[in-house]
Amino acid sequence: MSLPRRRSRILQTTRKIGELIMTYFSKVSDAKSKGKPVAWVTVFTPVELLYALDIYPVAPEHFGALCSARGFIVDYLEEAERCGYSESLCSYSRCSLGYVLSGMNGIMPPPDILITFRNSCDVYVKWWQSLHMHLGTPLFVGETPYVLAPEDLDNYVLDYVVKQLEQLIEMAEERFGLRFDMEKLVEVLKLSDKASELWFETLKLRRFRPCPLGGRDSASDIFPLVVMQGTEEAVSFYEELLREVKGRIGRKEGVIEDEKFRLLFDGIWIWHAFDLIKYFEDKGAVFVYEPYSEAWAYRLDASEPLESIARKILSMGLNVDIDIRIERFLENIKQYQIDGAVFFSNRSCKTWSATQLVTADILNKKVNVPYLLFEADMADPRQYSEAQIKNRIDAFIEVLSES
Amino acid sequence: MEIPSEIRDLCENPTAILSRYRDSGVKVIGYTCSYVPEELMISAGLQPYRATNIRADPSALTPSFICPFASATLENMIRHDDLFSGFVVAHTCDPMWRLYDILKKKTSKPLFLLRVPHNTKNELSLGFFKKELVRFKTFLEENFEVNIDDDAMFNSISLCNESRDLLKSIYMLNSNNKHKVEASDRFRVVLACMWMPKAEFNVKVKGLNFDNSKTLGDVRLHVNGTAIYESSLIKIVEESGGFIASDDLCTGSRYFWNNVEESDDPISALSYRYLLRTPCPSQSPLEDRLDYINFMVREFQVQGVLTFAKRFCDPILYDSVHIRSMLSKNDIPTMVIEYENPAQEIGRIKSRVEAFIESVGG
Ligand code: SF4
Ligand code: SF4
Repeated sequence: MSLPRRRSRILQTTRKIGELIMTYFSKVSDAKSKGKPVAWVTVFTPVELLYALDIYPVAPEHFGALCSARGFIVDYLEEAERCGYSESLCSYSRCSLGYVLSGMNGIMPPPDILITFRNSCDVYVKWWQSLHMHLGTPLFVGETPYVLAPEDLDNYVLDYVVKQLEQLIEMAEERFGLRFDMEKLVEVLKLSDKASELWFETLKLRRFRPCPLGGRDSASDIFPLVVMQGTEEAVSFYEELLREVKGRIGRKEGVIEDEKFRLLFDGIWIWHAFDLIKYFEDKGAVFVYEPYSEAWAYRLDASEPLESIARKILSMGLNVDIDIRIERFLENIKQYQIDGAVFFSNRSCKTWSATQLVTADILNKKVNVPYLLFEADMADPRQYSEAQIKNRIDAFIEVLSES
Repeated sequence: MEIPSEIRDLCENPTAILSRYRDSGVKVIGYTCSYVPEELMISAGLQPYRATNIRADPSALTPSFICPFASATLENMIRHDDLFSGFVVAHTCDPMWRLYDILKKKTSKPLFLLRVPHNTKNELSLGFFKKELVRFKTFLEENFEVNIDDDAMFNSISLCNESRDLLKSIYMLNSNNKHKVEASDRFRVVLACMWMPKAEFNVKVKGLNFDNSKTLGDVRLHVNGTAIYESSLIKIVEESGGFIASDDLCTGSRYFWNNVEESDDPISALSYRYLLRTPCPSQSPLEDRLDYINFMVREFQVQGVLTFAKRFCDPILYDSVHIRSMLSKNDIPTMVIEYENPAQEIGRIKSRVEAFIESVGG
């Protein structure tokens, strides 16, 4: 007789994500076949605006994560590299460029417009330009200046972004013969805001001990906030998720049975080595806070639709001053009672990785949080050395046990 | 033509001039990039100094896969912190953006981030950039207790225009099929302009005679890249039989190609010039940059285009694919050489350059 398997603590709601993704992609294909425009967007683009215009958003970054997680990214990466894109470039970008260069035979329908707002990285500009060069599709490059202080969300910086949103609306109306409807946008905003509110509430519940929702959940559960902000489906998903998480809290049921260490994770998840999260969990360490999970939600004010959207795309986690980011870390380390920090130094994502060492050092000095910093690539499995990383994790867990 | 030893020495060790400034009581602002208008610093009575990676290794504060140029520049800024009175960083690419973040945690000197819109062909960007320049002016006035009036700006604009005119006239000596100025000489003169007081530079360069028909190589090339401070790369090309007739380097033509209009609204004129100048690889639209390269290739009648791509430099690495595809339509051969530390890779770089020059010239 075989031993009973240890109960996996992934939430039931999280398990529905796969299906949600497939439904979403078939809806986009459907829309495309009915002649509706499809936009390829970078992930912190105002998707709400597009839904209000009846344009369907697809996010190549999400596609990159998906291909990596499902194990078929390497062909695309290699195709991009064969065509001259250096291996050192962001693997999400290499993935979609490879997809385009190999004929787009997959779930992402070809775009009718390419839209980016440069908030996470400057790579966005280069990547979208490159797609535009290969596809010849119209391109909109929006600028979201670095937010140096909270005032920027109310001064000429905000004004600049709001006006660009108006430009985008105008461009879409002209190009696709659409008519923008402000009332529709307000409805979409309310739904988007609701989904964000629910997600924030859910994340806050991770402050409980034992933590009811782990990294494997949060990594998947963000999907509806990536490209489905403003849809009913997203709201229902987060309602269900919140209910389930509350249930766990009532039953004092955690992600792992014996929660020893509560960790923060800084970075994008490593999609091709998702099991690494479980490796931590098996050692009694659970992820309770990630800037990445938080980044997707933003409370919107439907009485100021465009301003609100502009503030949202400006405030994306990596686009606010380092001091604000460090303050957030310090606050959350306290709120979530964090014992240690894991920094994933991501070879693809220079914008994120560049300041990690300095940040980790400051946190360590200020609140004495031990940290682990390791290098790999979020989507390219060829740049991953499992044994080495696991050794480092083992050593880190030892440090945590001693402190 | 002999480059004066003062300029030669300066290029070997530009930080030496920082001590000279300190000893004579001149306040120096270290800046990172050719998107920062030197005119504003000069009109505040400050000396602009372009920070570089010369004589520094990449900083241990950044990961190993960050652009080694940006990282070593950061290292130099931190190392010589006491010789500067302040810093200005322009947000162009990711490493420069993050260099600002790290510097903010490491220096006690006044520090300014100039937010350069990436979409340059947009009226809104121009309006925004103008406000950024006003913010920059206020930053200088407040931190250095000066008042920058229009007259001071008029003067600095014409001073910098004069430097740019001089540099451009030197470059134009190689236009059409002419073969006059060695790139290694020209290169030093451009760099000196970023470190010396402009008035001194203008006097010195006016006295130089570049019209020299004795050059080493004769295969006409255009060099594409970002900021190159390593004279060794230029030397490799020359010694392999190449003649760098033109370039679009940030330490080359992109620094001086366009002048500032001498109008009665200096801030507008500056914002116009700096946003709409020949674009850096980090900017959009890419088509503008491709047009510029095409123009250079024709104007200087080059036979091939060589890209020196710093390892991990995203802007150049994306662009090189499109530059190659554009030029191949006109039968202009291209080669991309990715490098990290020229001093350690000299053999590999040399053999690739030689092979390229041979195929182009042959
Ligand atoms: S992974 Fe980083 S570099 Fe790549 S698209 Fe995302 S934010 Fe940009
Ligand atoms: S443009 Fe390229 S070389 Fe210049 S700092 Fe940025 S990444 Fe480095």
